[in-house]
Amino acid sequence: MQGVFDKIIAEPFRDLFQRMIEFLPNLLSSIIVLGIGLIIAWAVKVLLQKLLQIFNIDNVCKRVGLTDILQKGGFKDSPSNLICKGIYGIVLVIFVIMALYSLKIDAIENLIEKFFLYLPNIFVAIILIIFGYVLSNFFSRAVLIAAVNRGIKHSGILYTTVKVAIMVLTITMALEQLGIGKDTVIIAFSIIFGGAVFAVSLAFGLAGKEIAKEFLEKRIKRDSEPEEPEDELKHL
Amino acid sequence: MAESKVKETNKSVVLRKEVQEKIAELKEADILVGIPSYNNAKTIGHVVKAVQAGLTKYFPDYKSVLVNSDGGSVDGTMDVVKNTTLDLDSILLQHRVGSFHKIVTPYQGIPGKGSAFRTIFEIAKELNVKACAVVDADLRSITPEWIELLVRPVLDAGYDYVAPYYHRHKYDGTITNTIVYPITRALYGKRIRQPIGGDFGFSGKLAAFYLTKDVWDTDVARYGIDIWMTTTAVANGFKICQAFLGAKIHDPKDPGADLSSMLHQVVNSVVNLMEEYEHVWKNVNGSEAVPTFGFVYTVGLEPIKVNLDGMLDKFRLGVKELGRMYESILPGELMWFLGSLAEKDKEDFHFPDNVWAEIIYSFAVACHKKLMSTGHIIKSLTPLYLGKVASFVIETWESTADEVEQRLEQLCLAFEKEKTYLIDRWFEAEETEKGDNENKGP
Repeated sequence: MQGVFDKIIAEPFRDLFQRMIEFLPNLLSSIIVLGIGLIIAWAVKVLLQKLLQIFNIDNVCKRVGLTDILQKGGFKDSPSNLICKGIYGIVLVIFVIMALYSLKIDAIENLIEKFFLYLPNIFVAIILIIFGYVLSNFFSRAVLIAAVNRGIKHSGILYTTVKVAIMVLTITMALEQLGIGKDTVIIAFSIIFGGAVFAVSLAFGLAGKEIAKEFLEKRIKRDSEPEEPEDELKHL
Repeated sequence: MAESKVKETNKSVVLRKEVQEKIAELKEADILVGIPSYNNAKTIGHVVKAVQAGLTKYFPDYKSVLVNSDGGSVDGTMDVVKNTTLDLDSILLQHRVGSFHKIVTPYQGIPGKGSAFRTIFEIAKELNVKACAVVDADLRSITPEWIELLVRPVLDAGYDYVAPYYHRHKYDGTITNTIVYPITRALYGKRIRQPIGGDFGFSGKLAAFYLTKDVWDTDVARYGIDIWMTTTAVANGFKICQAFLGAKIHDPKDPGADLSSMLHQVVNSVVNLMEEYEHVWKNVNGSEAVPTFGFVYTVGLEPIKVNLDGMLDKFRLGVKELGRMYESILPGELMWFLGSLAEKDKEDFHFPDNVWAEIIYSFAVACHKKLMSTGHIIKSLTPLYLGKVASFVIETWESTADEVEQRLEQLCLAFEKEKTYLIDRWFEAEETEKGDNENKGP
């Protein structure tokens, strides 16, 4: 009876206790690592804040237009604050990972390994989205200004089209990088983009037939006989 | 290798060996007339003749050099310059043949009028000339008198810079009339009527000073040389005057170039110079006339075609479509005004001068603060500029040339009056920065 009790009840408890005893130093070291991480992250944040203030990063960002981009992107903090918060977060994440590692639990170690392997994809996707956003703003604005200066009515539609097209392309690339619905996203993008281009070509072809004819006639005419200028005002 | 450096400094331009030999042969000269060119074979012969006749008629006792600085013409421009000879007997009843020489050379550097001028300045410096003049190669209305008017004030009256003053149609040069002249006058306090005229006279001292400036790899070398020369001379305290040259008739300047590109080139140059000389213009109040040489006259104006409806349509389209962009450049009250102006009919359309001055200053400040790409900021000004030109045409349709000049005088005074608006906004950012730094302490 005593043997049965020992085997069924006492031994597992002894094992558990033994394991807890073995685990406790890991837990303790993990807590210490986390504590040190918090202090270092805070110190780095404060130090960086001072450094960025000395170099007047906020004004530099304002001058190069980065503040404007961030505000348009919904970030209300100043660029220096954002940098400090970002670095604080990164340092903290590094120490959290170190703390988890020091627990020496296989499942967690596997998860961390997978996370680390996936991390570059997240980083590249974020960079892609930021670049896409900046490029979409730049090119859509350039198209809008050129269209307005050409006197094209409803230039706003061109602006939106360019902006949306670049953002859709960027998001597709980012999702592909993250490996989310890889094939589905590319197929969906190809269908939507191809369809849109086909629709626009068709619309231009049907609606702009007369305009194209007129344009070509004018060009051929202009080459053979110079037309009388409509506006004789000289700007320069 | 047919090239070697004239000077070892990085600021000197590479001159060809034959040019150096010619300089060594001439040793020095009194007057240099430069002609920058690029595919001007049709017109440059006339310009060379006018220059030679002007130098022979008015400066027979001086040693003169004509320099053609060419940008790689493929139509034989340089051959035309080399082969053009003048039958002085058919032009002048009595004349003495002075010392006249030609230097024909392709220029080095970025393609553009500025690089051509750099070569001319460099030759002027090497020859230690007293006075220089530069004239465009596409001029059809140049006469020998232009050379006297551009050179004489430098040689005999001690002026360093002679700006041109042309007789032009009231609707010619609308960018100059509505932007460049008023803003240059308000900023630097000198009433130079044609700051981007293209034909100038200047002293050898000023040519050497231009060479000390490190701008030859910038837009100045491409297209901004005219306003740069004028502003540099004014801002650095050189002695300035104007010469009335009569009508300016030339080949159309790049008919393919669109308005927004022209506007971008000119306004961008003005804003870049504002950055460089902010310490000068922030202390200037009002303006003063500069001495004008030559016999000023006006003639009747031929009516020309102006597409007013087209300009107004583009203005309205710009206000509607670029409104969100303007919101980050212009203050609220100007936005409100533009919105209400866009709804007005042609008959009631009036763009006040003070509003226009504030708009130009706001765009300059937006470039200074780099609110977005400078190209975008300036090109988005095009619809508003067309609105101002349309308003100007409506107001002056029946006016004579003198009345139009008076109207432009009002516009310039508005720019001078609104200058405090520019100073407040331009230096706003720096004041805030300074305040922040002071609050932070050491």
